[in-house]
Amino acid sequence: MLEFDGLHKSYGDHHVLEGVGFTVAPGSMFGFCGANGAGKTTTMRIAMGLARPDSGEVRWRGRPLDEGSRRRVGYMPEERGLYPKMRVGEQLTYFARLHGLDAAAAARAAEEWAGRLGLGERRRSRVEELSLGNQQRVQLAAALVSRPEVLILDEPFSGLDPVGVDALAEALLEQCRAGVPVVFSSHQLDLVERLCDAVGILARGRMVASGTVEELRRREAGRLLRVVAPDAAPGWAGAVPGVRVVSERAGDTVLELAEDTDDQVVLAAALRTGRVTHFAWREATLVELFREAVADPAQRTAREEVAA
Amino acid sequence: MSAPGSPLGSGALIRLVAAREVSTRLRDKTFLISSAVMLLIILGVLVFQVVLGSGSDERRIGVTGDSAALGPALEAQGEVLGLDVTVVDVADGAAARTAVETEDVDAAVLDGTGPDPELVVRESDSTLEALVSGAVSSVALGRVLAEAGVAPGDLPQVSVTALDQTSAADQQRTVVAIVGVVLLYSLIILFGQFVAQGVVEEKSSRVVELLLATMRPWQLLAGKILGLGALGLAQIALIAVIGVGGALAFDVVDVPGDLVGTVGWVLFWYLLGYALFASLFAVAASLVSRQEDLASVLTPASLVLFVGFFVAIQAATNPSGTLAVVTSFVPGLSPMVMPVRQAAGEVAAWEVGLAVVLMLVAIALVVRLGGRVYSGALLRTSGRTKIREALRSGRA
Repeated sequence: MLEFDGLHKSYGDHHVLEGVGFTVAPGSMFGFCGANGAGKTTTMRIAMGLARPDSGEVRWRGRPLDEGSRRRVGYMPEERGLYPKMRVGEQLTYFARLHGLDAAAAARAAEEWAGRLGLGERRRSRVEELSLGNQQRVQLAAALVSRPEVLILDEPFSGLDPVGVDALAEALLEQCRAGVPVVFSSHQLDLVERLCDAVGILARGRMVASGTVEELRRREAGRLLRVVAPDAAPGWAGAVPGVRVVSERAGDTVLELAEDTDDQVVLAAALRTGRVTHFAWREATLVELFREAVADPAQRTAREEVAA
Repeated sequence: MSAPGSPLGSGALIRLVAAREVSTRLRDKTFLISSAVMLLIILGVLVFQVVLGSGSDERRIGVTGDSAALGPALEAQGEVLGLDVTVVDVADGAAARTAVETEDVDAAVLDGTGPDPELVVRESDSTLEALVSGAVSSVALGRVLAEAGVAPGDLPQVSVTALDQTSAADQQRTVVAIVGVVLLYSLIILFGQFVAQGVVEEKSSRVVELLLATMRPWQLLAGKILGLGALGLAQIALIAVIGVGGALAFDVVDVPGDLVGTVGWVLFWYLLGYALFASLFAVAASLVSRQEDLASVLTPASLVLFVGFFVAIQAATNPSGTLAVVTSFVPGLSPMVMPVRQAAGEVAAWEVGLAVVLMLVAIALVVRLGGRVYSGALLRTSGRTKIREALRSGRA
């Protein structure tokens, strides 16, 4: 298990992290979401020893990450970092060697990863000559080339075209299947939803939600029911007990049901008004969950009071 | 999961970093060109010395008639004046004039052992005149003495007592020391710049985050300084070998032992000077994030280096002056001033020892404090970091 446990960090009076904690199982992918400045990068930098937490620690297989075990972590920093004038192949070999591979194994691994990420032809190019997308691939290859036991990637998908995103996603899934725990941060929530087994949402230095996307949906109270009954008189749904009308426009209503309300009762009521052309639970997207989770707590409380 | 490589020790990491620095520089055009230029300058100086030495010191003198007596006398006089005299037999006065006009000989002596000797030259040359008249009169004197029955051995001989027996050798060593100090200064500046640029490159390209995820800041700094230092030492040693070898082969210097000793000391002081200034440059460079800001933070250390260079050149003319003596102990200035004083032969062993110890103390201090600044500043990429902030967050 990769465990982030009770991380606190402040710069002066500014509290960046206030008890961030989550765990990532081997072979699972953890998507790390949060608004800009929520503390995602700081959390990852603490794991890599690039920032010191005021308290808390990051553990891998039950032991705090230290110099030695960090060499078995593949890391991709938020601000990309490569030697601009070094050739791709040499650069990958160098990073592999820094992670402890011997010369021959490092050269083989560099060649292998350059090939796998579609950089085979550019192995002898200098990094500064490559397109941004290709530089990104080199950066990922630099994280993967040492056959890491753990992957920590800060915004790996930013700046990639759709083909690049697919290639990167495939590479990460492959690592996952091989048993590597993968943590990555992203603002592309559709990607996180598609790829990740578990999601953590960070807001104001705390984890406001974490778990599988399913769990988050279930935990988020009040799923929405959309009913389209074209012939219904306005206000038909308000009469059904346990139903709150979220929106209503020309027979198209969005309803929120109380805990013990049977959706079939709602359907029966709708049918009594005439034809029903649409009746379905609307699954909250991760975007909605995210908005809900990072929303200011004061506003959220106010809305809940209105609902009650 | 396949097993990753065995964990690396400090030695292995430092070697990896150093090897990367060396291989990067060996393919860097700036480095290759500057090395070539330095070698060319040294070769140029050598060739210049050889040409100067051979061109001006040789004279061909034509002699009419029997040169058996006059020839050796001319050569002996030439030796006194530091000239290499070659005696050429010419048939008669007319042939002698032609030979002078066609520049076959530098001068011709007509009837040198007769009653009315004559010297033919293209244009008046006081050295040649003195040489020839000395030779002619010594031959005449010998003959007159012989005729009077006096053996030349009866004349009083002057014995020479030199009070300062090493002055010529000293001068030569001082010249070697100055050439050495010029090289030492240029190489410290050059390689110090390489270190500084490397630090900023890693910072501005953010590759430093990836590096520090695998090693500690001091290991990165040590690898960088040692790698470039080894390259610099190899370069100055190559120049020294070519310079000394050439000087010996072409007979430019008289005392090989002294030359080698002086060159050895210059190499030694290069090592100390480089260690101090490379560390200072690296620490200064770690405070900024862009190459454009580099010049301003390097100025203080470069200024010290320049003052040392300036004083060293001064010290060559006055090695026992107060300025030279005092600065030869000041860390940072001593690597340039002390070798000049040593070459002039004015330094006691304890003085050298003291200067070395002071320098080592300074290096230890810079590495210790500088290492903290470096590690504190390395991950701050927003503009320019203040030294105090860097010290506070350092994690050497």
